[in-house]
Amino acid sequence: MAYSEYWNPKNETLPREELQALQLLKLRRFCDWAYATTPFHQRKFDAAGFKPEQIKTLDDLRRIPFMTREEWMESLMEKPLFGDLLATDSRNAIRYHLTSGTTGRTPIRVLDSMKDWDWINEMWCYGIWGFGVRPEDVVYFAFGYGSFIGFWGAHYACEKLGALVIPGGAQTTEARIKQIIELGVTTVFSTPTYALHLWQKSREMGIDLARESKVNKVILSGEPAGSIPAVKHQLEEAWGARCGDTAGMTEIGTIMIFECSHQPGGTHIIEDHFIEEVLNPNSDEPVGYGELGERIVTSFGRGFIPLIRYRTKDMVMKVPASTCTCGRTWDIYSGGIRGRWDDMKLIRGTNVYPRAVEAIIREYPAIDEFQIYIWRKEELQDEITIKLEIKTGHEAEWPDIEHKLTKDLASAHEGLRFNIERMDYGVLPHFELKAKRLVDARPVANY
Amino acid sequence: MTTTETDLLGKPLTEQERELLNIYEALKKLAARSDLPPCAASNVRKALMSMWQATNDLSLQFEQLYDLGV
Repeated sequence: MAYSEYWNPKNETLPREELQALQLLKLRRFCDWAYATTPFHQRKFDAAGFKPEQIKTLDDLRRIPFMTREEWMESLMEKPLFGDLLATDSRNAIRYHLTSGTTGRTPIRVLDSMKDWDWINEMWCYGIWGFGVRPEDVVYFAFGYGSFIGFWGAHYACEKLGALVIPGGAQTTEARIKQIIELGVTTVFSTPTYALHLWQKSREMGIDLARESKVNKVILSGEPAGSIPAVKHQLEEAWGARCGDTAGMTEIGTIMIFECSHQPGGTHIIEDHFIEEVLNPNSDEPVGYGELGERIVTSFGRGFIPLIRYRTKDMVMKVPASTCTCGRTWDIYSGGIRGRWDDMKLIRGTNVYPRAVEAIIREYPAIDEFQIYIWRKEELQDEITIKLEIKTGHEAEWPDIEHKLTKDLASAHEGLRFNIERMDYGVLPHFELKAKRLVDARPVANY
Repeated sequence: MTTTETDLLGKPLTEQERELLNIYEALKKLAARSDLPPCAASNVRKALMSMWQATNDLSLQFEQLYDLGV
């Protein structure tokens, strides 16, 4: 059967002037909505002297105050569980998810209504259809299905477009590999790290995935590696399949960028549902095509928690849509999400803020000095190890600390496994000023 | 039946867009009723949720539906 190359041919090929007119119209209405319904935005707009009716052109976007993760955290700590960001009664929600917070144990919690949740899946449809997933595909999710939003939206997107969905769920890697082979899976969804792990494990099992599986597409998310040429090349060789990058965030609930089947070395922005600005993170001035900057997102999808000019701290480089041969008029982030402007670390798809880790460690008075050590195991898997020293006289507490701290850190980070390693006293650097307790020993990405 | 003649960008609706919008508007009316049995009310909301995506993607409407439980 012949299919359109685009999920939404009308808007994916819309001339840019019309695309911008559509964004302007949505922006005005969405600011009206946020101001009328959300105390958080009322307060911020009023403080900035901004009124939605001031939006006459897209340049007026810059009149709108930025929204930050820190403000969001403050709001939900003052008014648990959701702060004053909800635009409608929580009884209208059908879905709850969370992501790890920037400080301590408090996560960012989000709610979605029926149509918001379906919109989340819809955005994934744009992306995975664009990469070539079709109703004939047999799709495998190497995903644990918890409160972390992860691939939930992609799962429902695949059902929506008519593919056969196999939820990997809580299984061993070996069992997953067997299912991928036995069920004739054609498309695998995974983080880049885990896709490499699946390949490595399959080799140990004597299975050549490139030859013995039917997988022809691997769709990646959760880590920047999906657009790092060396990693992508390694994955494509290992699986004998095309690998496509996507990126999203819990704060918007879904992906906002995806790599199309023409694989232009970057990811198209879904510009009929998002406005993505790229600014110099120091001056807040827009940067041009081909320059690195911070991405600022306005999302028109989740009306439940309006996200307007949200500072993501993601490092990106925008290039024109014409860089790709697919015919979409949507601009591209060359190299996808290239890194961070802040100290947040992505470990196997989970956001980790060093200050949040520190806040939890500081709850243990027996711990003296510590170091957050991030490393790559066997060139494949990212690991996070907390190296720590116990205060003299508290050595007997170590077994309890090891057990409890492991649990506390995991529960504040969507179940992420932390390694805890006790060091002899005096081995770790001790600081008086400007402590540097984070060591990221992973290789630097080369674009 | 929709009384709208154009999409959000002011372009005349195509025949298929008009049909989609008609279904969407009909579902909104149904979802607003309080006398439907649960099996109808829930599935109407699900259908409305889906039609919101189609009509929103095609720039035929951009609105919120929380007052209808959607």
